[in-house]
Amino acid sequence: MTPRKTLTIALLIMALGIGYYSMNTASVLSDESHTYHGDTAWKTDVDEAMETAAAEDKPVLVYFWTTWCTYCEDYNKNAYVDPDVNDRLDDFVLLAVNLDDSSPEAKDLQQRYNANYPPQHVAITPDGELLVEINGYAETDSFIAYLDEAQSEWESR
Amino acid sequence: MIGPALIAGSMLTGLVATVLLFRGYLRRDNDYVSVITPLIGVTAGLLVVALGYLTYQFVVTDYTNAYVWNNTANYIPLLYRITGVYAGNEGSVLLWAALAAVVAFWSAARRGIASSDAKLVQGLTVGIVTYFAAMLFFDSPFTSITEEFPEMGEGVAPLDGTGLNPLLIDPYMAIHPPVMFIAYALLTMPFAIAVAHFISTIRGNGGLFSDWIGSITRWLRVSWLFLTAAIVLGSLWSYRVLGWGGIWAWDPVETAVLIPWIFLTATLHAVMNYRSRSTYATLAPAMTATTFALVIYATAIVRSGVFRSVHSFADDGIGLALLVLLAATTILGVCLPLGYWLLREPAESADDSQPWLTRANLLHLAVLGIGLLGFVSVWGLSFPVLNSYITGMEVEVTGNYYNLWSYPIVLAMLLLLGFYMDYDVEGRRRALLSLGVFTTATVLAALVAPTDSWLLATSDTNDALFYQLIGSVSALSLLPPAAYVCLTVINRALEYVPGSPSRNYQFKQVGVAMVHIGFVILVVSVAFSYLFTAQSSVIVADAEQEAALDDSGVHDVPDSAYAVEVSDYREYQRPEDPDVRNVAFSVDEVTARGDSIHETVQPVYGTVTEVNQGPEATIVQLDDSQIWLGVVGDGQADVDVSEGDRVVGVGYVMWDYLPELSQTDAVVVTDPADIGTMTNPPAALDQTRVQGSAVGLTVYEGGERLASGEAGQERYLQQDGMEVRNVFVDRGLAHDTYVIAAVDDGTASLTIRQIPLMNLMRISTGVLLAGMLVIILFDPAYGLVRAWSRRTEQPTTTETPSDD
Repeated sequence: MTPRKTLTIALLIMALGIGYYSMNTASVLSDESHTYHGDTAWKTDVDEAMETAAAEDKPVLVYFWTTWCTYCEDYNKNAYVDPDVNDRLDDFVLLAVNLDDSSPEAKDLQQRYNANYPPQHVAITPDGELLVEINGYAETDSFIAYLDEAQSEWESR
Repeated sequence: MIGPALIAGSMLTGLVATVLLFRGYLRRDNDYVSVITPLIGVTAGLLVVALGYLTYQFVVTDYTNAYVWNNTANYIPLLYRITGVYAGNEGSVLLWAALAAVVAFWSAARRGIASSDAKLVQGLTVGIVTYFAAMLFFDSPFTSITEEFPEMGEGVAPLDGTGLNPLLIDPYMAIHPPVMFIAYALLTMPFAIAVAHFISTIRGNGGLFSDWIGSITRWLRVSWLFLTAAIVLGSLWSYRVLGWGGIWAWDPVETAVLIPWIFLTATLHAVMNYRSRSTYATLAPAMTATTFALVIYATAIVRSGVFRSVHSFADDGIGLALLVLLAATTILGVCLPLGYWLLREPAESADDSQPWLTRANLLHLAVLGIGLLGFVSVWGLSFPVLNSYITGMEVEVTGNYYNLWSYPIVLAMLLLLGFYMDYDVEGRRRALLSLGVFTTATVLAALVAPTDSWLLATSDTNDALFYQLIGSVSALSLLPPAAYVCLTVINRALEYVPGSPSRNYQFKQVGVAMVHIGFVILVVSVAFSYLFTAQSSVIVADAEQEAALDDSGVHDVPDSAYAVEVSDYREYQRPEDPDVRNVAFSVDEVTARGDSIHETVQPVYGTVTEVNQGPEATIVQLDDSQIWLGVVGDGQADVDVSEGDRVVGVGYVMWDYLPELSQTDAVVVTDPADIGTMTNPPAALDQTRVQGSAVGLTVYEGGERLASGEAGQERYLQQDGMEVRNVFVDRGLAHDTYVIAAVDDGTASLTIRQIPLMNLMRISTGVLLAGMLVIILFDPAYGLVRAWSRRTEQPTTTETPSDD
């Protein structure tokens, strides 16, 4: 084998390596049934989320987001990797609605809870009654406080 | 009808020329050869006239053309009316087609088409031009407004256009697209030559690359010059438009244009090293052919909108047509060479004793390295799409992917470049020694970060290992390789330039040195500029009051050396003095249009000559004519108009509405809210396009007055309320001061950025471009300037074969 061929093959292998490695380590935004934010996985099917909530007797946390919203990135970086937040999120059924492309059911949710800019959160009962609204970005401490408030609202019903 | 006829004509003549060319090539005869060049000339002429005609329609705002109506408006000044020509798909394809046709004609006229090779090359070039013409025939920039919107009624021309994307209203955007399309058009020729080379080789006719190598080199170099200039202009535009991430963000569109550029750079290096029977006999033509396929790939990405929504890929005609072209150029430019290489290329005699360290091998490594850099960009754009098609999973590719993968490759390439330049002059031992020294210095520098802002990326424990590793490397590591390249390039130029008796050769060496040094300084300044941009902000709550004072306060900007003073505050709108006659018909115009606008909503103005107030309606005669305004509905009795008033109303034009009144031809049925005076027209005729707010600022740095200027924002009401910031940039020696203002209700929120090394960047791109120009002109082998002095008469073979 000539040096040039050897070099070519070495660089080709390197390119394949870069391709494989980068594809496998790219952070996943969504797959068929979930979107991912920080360490959390959110359902994307509205009906399924509502049914799960009714079956498990849990409140639903709806998250209205978009790919271009910088405060959503702040949520990903601060809130959704925080263990205290994640503990509390376990008590909710999580449902994420991308404000940019959404099904009629999602559009409906958007209108019902008046969510017209990202990020917004609403905690609701499986029947759709509003528990707590979090408009815009909340620092992690107050985000936790909101979640606690939603939980106690839910328990008092 | 003129426009479509021009397009159809160019498509026909182009088609005939293409068919005759291929026929002549296949039959190996010279029949019709005398008519082919004129035919190509006619094709080019028709396309240029079509482009000129479209430009004319924009200049005179001929809104009977839907494309004009869609891409300009009355308030837009002349320069940006011309920008409108290539603001949309159809216009930019026309620009591209016209330029490519001119290139084809120029080369046919210069070189002739008598030889069989030339026929094949021209057949391919004119074939591409014809394809563009066909695209324009089916998706024309000359579609009339009535064809686009049949409901508007026959013969109706809107009085004002919908406007131009505000982001394009910028001097850089007026020149960036033409420069880009010149580069794209020029690349058609090397593509055709390379593809013809493979066709000819496969058919046993022996290829044509070595005969045409001079021509190819010139086309490639000139394309590179224009493509580089286009990217630079695009970056300068992006710098002025807030929200585009400064001079460079890894936006898909920006990445897309970088791909052909990187690849073209690699191709130039491969072509330099082309030898017909040995080195790069296949790779150089293959890369030449592939470059154009990548241009089409880039265009398809930019134009199809695939990266904004995966689903709208082939929705519109141009998108699909580009996909077909992409497939065709990929087959010809990528698959054909690849197939030839795999199946037919004569096997090179394997010689294990070949030494590793040769100039040819080093250049090969450079070509591969640049190719790898290009791959990083191609892959970054492509794999999220591939991934979501295959697995349904969406993944995120951020600037970090591009920056962190490219960084080590760029470092390695710089070290290689330095080594090559050194090896060329100083020989093996010395070169290896200095490579060792500079590589060690690079590795050590990578570990030294004076502050956190020297690190390439803020590392995050969630990131993959590689990203964490490279992200925590210090940018200081860029300096040793950069110094290495500069030293060795200058050393080599000093060695080669004085020693050579050929003036052209000397110039070329200076050009080579300029290109490489310009590039290295550009890389360093871009990286450092991004890492060391400092930002701080301040809110001036009483900006409007302060502007009115003679001696307003100076506000210190926290965490910075800056202070600002508001000296002016204004709110404005455009157009400044709207004239209702721009958007409404006169009585004569309504009469002339007659029945064709029956039952359509139209604005009409005129002087009141009679008023009849009834219980159900008030009807108002205009200009003593047969045209009346009829005001109906609640409040019609309160409409206050009297004879002599100049009024305007919007409503349904009803022809023969009141047959019992012989002096009425038409009544424009309107309601009280839609009638007004010409100086105070109803809201429906409000012509305000742009609402702007701006503050005049004086900026101080370290207590010294730095500069004064204006910053603010403009809202484009008829374009979804799109907002554009007008930034204020003060160019300083060491850094730019960049002020962004959000002005609202008398309050100004100011963000001040200190962006370092902008001048170094400007200078280095200038050096880079000037260096390439020098090479294009003075290359002793293929330069445009042949005889500089008598001393160039010595044979060019004295030039060392692969010298850059």
